[in-house]
Amino acid sequence: MTTVADDSTHHDGSAGAPVGRPRRARPTLVAAVVVGVVMALLVLVLATRERAGERTASADLIGEQAPSVGGDVVLGQPFDLGASDRWTVVNFFATWCVPCIEEHPELRAFAEEHAERGDARVVSVVYDDKSSDVRDFFEKNGGTWTVVGSDEGRTALDWGVAKVPESYLVSPTGIIVERFVGGVTRQALDQVISLYDQPVAITSTTEGG
Amino acid sequence: MNAAFGTGGVVLGVAGSLGAIVTLALGLRGNRPALLRMSRTYALMVLAGAVVSFAAMERALITRDFSLEYVAKNGSSATPALYNFAALWSALEGSILLWGLILAGFTVAVVWKFRDRLTDPLVGWALLTMFVVCLFFFGLMLGPANPFRVLADVPADGPGPNPLLQNHPLMAFHPPMLYLGYVGFTVPFAFAIAALATGRLGEGWLVETRRWTLFAWTFLTVGIILGAWWSHEVLGWGGYWGWDPVENASLLPWLTGTAFIHSVMVQERRGMLRVWNLSLLCATFALTILGTFLTRSGVVDSVHAFSNSTIGPLLLGFFGLIVAVTVGLVGWRGDRLRSPARIDSPASREGAFLLNNVVFAAFAFVVLLGTVFPLISEALSNERVTVGVPYFERMTMPIGLMLLFLMAMAPVLPWRKASTETLRTRLLWPGWIGTGVLMFAVLIGARGFAPLLAFFLAGFAGGAALRQLALATRRQGWRGLVGRTNGGMIVHIGVLLIGVAFAASNSYQVERDARLCIEATSGCPSTITVDGHTITYVRATSEVTPARSQVGGQFQVDGGKVYEPVLQKFPNGTQQIGRPSVRNSPTDSVLLSLTDPPTSTGSVALKVIVQPMIVWLWIGGGVMVVGSIMAAFPGQRRRPIDPVSAPVPSRDRPADPPHHEEPVPVGAGR
Repeated sequence: MTTVADDSTHHDGSAGAPVGRPRRARPTLVAAVVVGVVMALLVLVLATRERAGERTASADLIGEQAPSVGGDVVLGQPFDLGASDRWTVVNFFATWCVPCIEEHPELRAFAEEHAERGDARVVSVVYDDKSSDVRDFFEKNGGTWTVVGSDEGRTALDWGVAKVPESYLVSPTGIIVERFVGGVTRQALDQVISLYDQPVAITSTTEGG
Repeated sequence: MNAAFGTGGVVLGVAGSLGAIVTLALGLRGNRPALLRMSRTYALMVLAGAVVSFAAMERALITRDFSLEYVAKNGSSATPALYNFAALWSALEGSILLWGLILAGFTVAVVWKFRDRLTDPLVGWALLTMFVVCLFFFGLMLGPANPFRVLADVPADGPGPNPLLQNHPLMAFHPPMLYLGYVGFTVPFAFAIAALATGRLGEGWLVETRRWTLFAWTFLTVGIILGAWWSHEVLGWGGYWGWDPVENASLLPWLTGTAFIHSVMVQERRGMLRVWNLSLLCATFALTILGTFLTRSGVVDSVHAFSNSTIGPLLLGFFGLIVAVTVGLVGWRGDRLRSPARIDSPASREGAFLLNNVVFAAFAFVVLLGTVFPLISEALSNERVTVGVPYFERMTMPIGLMLLFLMAMAPVLPWRKASTETLRTRLLWPGWIGTGVLMFAVLIGARGFAPLLAFFLAGFAGGAALRQLALATRRQGWRGLVGRTNGGMIVHIGVLLIGVAFAASNSYQVERDARLCIEATSGCPSTITVDGHTITYVRATSEVTPARSQVGGQFQVDGGKVYEPVLQKFPNGTQQIGRPSVRNSPTDSVLLSLTDPPTSTGSVALKVIVQPMIVWLWIGGGVMVVGSIMAAFPGQRRRPIDPVSAPVPSRDRPADPPHHEEPVPVGAGR
């Protein structure tokens, strides 16, 4: 990447050369060659790319290992999705989205209840929003769970998020067991967890899901 | 029958282009004027083919001939007439058809304009280039982008155009304007190639192409502004420019085209920057093709996911060809064609233009890098990193401020060299106007370093432009408003209006989400106040027509008129499309959009965005257009100096016609 940028900056400089500098041996040719090489590289890069349609993550991740959540931590403690003895609700949200605002109290109730018992937690992923707005939002509406940045939209792409709010319930073993499109309720989350947490060991979630 | 006529037209276009290429190549090689003159017939043939195809497609759309795949995919019996007509350019194949029609029109226009000089090798080469471009686009329509593919099973009805493209009339006009701009750049490109190929880099061809460039540039400007307007009125996020790859694709040729429009004046006045100007024209055209590739191939993620087609590799190949030819010609000829003249002083008009070009080139580079960066990073590190809006904002803000500064300085700078004394007197009034604007902005409550600097510089630059116009009208009366410099100053005023509106609307936007109820209850008011505007929920509405169904809410703004943002659903989409409602006033715009449909309990989720000065974006666009028209009118005639442009001795091509030696009487006396 750096080489490309360097070459091109050089081109910007030398392309203006025909004007002011004393005549040297064929600077235009040099500039043309540099531009040509940079453009050839660009064409090469463009020609080897896959099309967007082929890259989109599969929409249905239920029953599969949860993708990583890579963004910077905006609020709360760092966390690790893989190693845990707790259920995790991965919630994609934005402060500009009204259903997200509406589901927030539900998530708060869920998080507070389960924080006491230590068997489930909430992680929110910012979707196309500013960190400062997110901090204001949590200050105003409460909630102490971890919020991570959007990671340039990559996390949402990996999880196949189409539109916020969207929430995923991830089992302690790191398997996605349920997807909630639109606002999620505490009751719905508890219901799904109770299906799995009854008598059977957690390892059977893959079959169950 | 539509398919037969349409395909026939495309074949005619291909045949005409091929014939013209062969004839012109032979004519140029053997110096046979009779062959060169035949380009007239071929140009008309290509245009006839394009018109027949276009008419066949419109006929198919209007008569709802669903046996054509394109109509079956993009037409429907319920689509209203305007959108049905515009459905021709609502998807890829039809867009290429429109492109072909405009290109054929430009080719005929060039032939007509140069009808007395068709035997001139310069014109011959230019037409040859244009016909190669014609061949490419008509070839696309025979191959992967065939608009006249026939379906074996004829459906009874179609889904209609993409919902986003049929809920605002602006969308019917934005693409043709944009294409007039994109395609228009083919003409100066063709003349640039011709100048390089013949080695006649004198100023004559430039005078000829300057107006074509201005024409294309004006339409591109209109297209971009209509696009921004459309996104503001339709997309409902309060924005009008999001640095999306599609938007960047239209901005890139605009930037290089703007750079050319400025630097060409240096060449006309001082005979300098010849090779640079040629390169700018070639870059502009190449960028229109690259932009089309980026947006049509799906290699970059874009909100405008219009297409998913197979023409990507072909467009990329064509882009590569253009770059190879240009770079090859410039590298081969460039050094021999460079002007010996040099800039005397950086504090001069030409010095300012040069700096302008450097800034515009940097602008284009920043935008191009940001657009393709995800692809480059993926190629190098296997990770797709999107740079996003913050990158563009951070990088382009200083560039924009620099451009404002240059707009203030350049008009007052004399050619060759400025003395401190001249500068002081000439900058006095613009400086005071800038200070006045700044004080006014602070007085009405504007804060923040960057926007205030922008307001000051805009006032400064506006003062410089007004000074020029005032001096010119005092000297020449109404003629002081036309001509290149004066028209250009009007364009500057338009740009300044847009710049100020851009800075103000981005810096002082107030946004609020709320749930409103018709009957106010606790936690659900019926009236809210956002940035001094009261918004009252009056009632919920719904409407069902065959073309679409919609639910909405009526809101009274500031106790006056009622505005009705709606959520629309079209038969071909499951998604609900928001259609905001905007109340515009000279000082600010109130944008209402529904984020959730009205509920049975009488509440509705509403997003309110108040942005200052939005209308000035569109007014500024209008001023730019007026200025461009003024600039195209011949102002006070000043014969361009005709510096020595020695023809290149043709060692390697002995067949070069001898009349290269003759001075070319272009641009003069017309």
